Amino acid sequence: MTLSILLQILWTGLAVSSYAVLFAMAFSLILKVVKIWNFAQAGFMGLVFYSLYVSLNIFEWPMWAGVVLSFLVTTLAAIAFFHYGIETLRARHSSSLTFFILTLVVSQFMGYLFAMCFGTEPLTITKNIMSPVMLVGGIVVSHWDLQAMGLTALTVLLVYWILNRTHMGQFMSAVADHPGLARLYGIDVSRVYLYTIALACLLLTVGVYLLGLKVAMLPNTPLQMMLLAVIATLLGGMGQVFGAAAAAVLLSLIQSLSVFVIPSEWQSLLIYAFLFMTILFFPEGFSWTAMKSWFTVRRA
Amino acid sequence: MEYVISVLVLMGIYVILSSSFNLIIGYGGLISIAHPIFFALGAYTTGVLSVNFSIWPPLALLAGGLVALVFSLMLSLPSLRISGDYLLITSIGFQLGLLEVIKHLGFLGGASGLGNIANVIEGDNRSEIFALISIGLAVIVFLFIRWLIQGPYGLLVSAMRDDELVYTSLGRNAMKVKLVIFAIGSACAGLAGGLYAYYYQYVNPDQFEILQSSMILTMVVVGGMGSQWGPVVGAVLLLFLPQAIGFLSFPPSVMAPLQGLLYSLLVIIFLFVRPQGLMARVVRKDA
Repeated sequence: MTLSILLQILWTGLAVSSYAVLFAMAFSLILKVVKIWNFAQAGFMGLVFYSLYVSLNIFEWPMWAGVVLSFLVTTLAAIAFFHYGIETLRARHSSSLTFFILTLVVSQFMGYLFAMCFGTEPLTITKNIMSPVMLVGGIVVSHWDLQAMGLTALTVLLVYWILNRTHMGQFMSAVADHPGLARLYGIDVSRVYLYTIALACLLLTVGVYLLGLKVAMLPNTPLQMMLLAVIATLLGGMGQVFGAAAAAVLLSLIQSLSVFVIPSEWQSLLIYAFLFMTILFFPEGFSWTAMKSWFTVRRA
Repeated sequence: MEYVISVLVLMGIYVILSSSFNLIIGYGGLISIAHPIFFALGAYTTGVLSVNFSIWPPLALLAGGLVALVFSLMLSLPSLRISGDYLLITSIGFQLGLLEVIKHLGFLGGASGLGNIANVIEGDNRSEIFALISIGLAVIVFLFIRWLIQGPYGLLVSAMRDDELVYTSLGRNAMKVKLVIFAIGSACAGLAGGLYAYYYQYVNPDQFEILQSSMILTMVVVGGMGSQWGPVVGAVLLLFLPQAIGFLSFPPSVMAPLQGLLYSLLVIIFLFVRPQGLMARVVRKDA
């Protein structure tokens, strides 16, 4: 293995991690603020993709219009799901089992709906998914790589700004900590939930747009992508939105580097191995503080 | 007539699957969607033992149940030591991951499936005998679960499900109850898998995908989670759904998603309109 091959794999891994970062942040944000394991995210990812597909390939709209439409459609669907589904069950004080079943089944329902409407063959949002490439210091860099990294960096910065520098971000933190107390202090909790859902949908839209430019999608692709988001959420620490983002980058890099040790036909299993290792070794998330104190104890 | 008998065989198999899943989700309050993978493990174990070792069929069936039980512990031990919520997440990965493994293992037939499973009942009445065995086994599983839940152990399970904190504060081990419930339910699914393999003499990884999870979950939710007769009613009703939409004569590429769509839609409707299912749970007077 030469250095250039290693750098190439690292670069590609980093570029591919872009959409994984956005999906992980969306999952983690909903878990943090709305306090649900939103397995319906896979369904909403599918909705972004297929609305993009319809607007670009059937209506032949320009890309920006397709992206705006898919964001609006997904946000409306997610808000409707939250309002009529989650809120109704909350009002009934349903058990966590019911919430799990609902989010999972909604995801499956949407997956089957897409399979019925669009078939089970892989689809792409653009006619050509090949991206022009250039050689930079012996590393092949595609236009998609640059676009994905740039767009992801901008989106992450936007989320950082919203969460840390705006009133809404503060409200989100307050609701995440204690919705009852936040309500007592005059925060409109329902409005905060709506903003959170819209922000998560924005992350999903950008993520699916990037994914759709790179690979062909099947109706069950979002479920597999969501699984990576779930692992990153667990690994990054529950409700740690940027921890989940960092974990998604780490997982993507490990996945890319694994080509040296794992035959290609077994590559797809890696994600499931991650899942088990995370549950076994990092059930509360990966914590630098815990690691530091562990090493201190060992040294002592 | 042959068709009705084959539906009866399937009915027995699905009553075992839905009743055992109800034991896990309804009585134990444990959320997992991986039930089909234990069904698959039972089917594949029985199939491999039959193809390669010509083992006595009842023994192969039991081996299928045992392998499913062992694998269920591999899933539940790491997940349940943290919290019940993790079980759902790991169960998704466990099911998809193991199916992926099966697709890559040559001795299991790979993606094209395992065929040439021995025909253990020959003659003109093959299907009738299978129907009797299938329904007989379903009755045994149903009565066993009923006995388990109505007995003193059932009280422990209900107490653990209803308030785990209080249950553990009384010095009881909730983890042990969860592991046992999960293992028993999965072993029953393994048994059903063995029966399936012997009847169809062919198993394929695609038969145990997410659609199967939806189907079993729908049977339990529609029938009534945590009720004894609910999964039986759910299984019988839901097995007629493919026949009910059969007249639409859509191509298979549309029929399979349509079936999944209807299953998931039924679950959603029942969660809101009748969360207790068709057969509501009977609350024990001594509970």
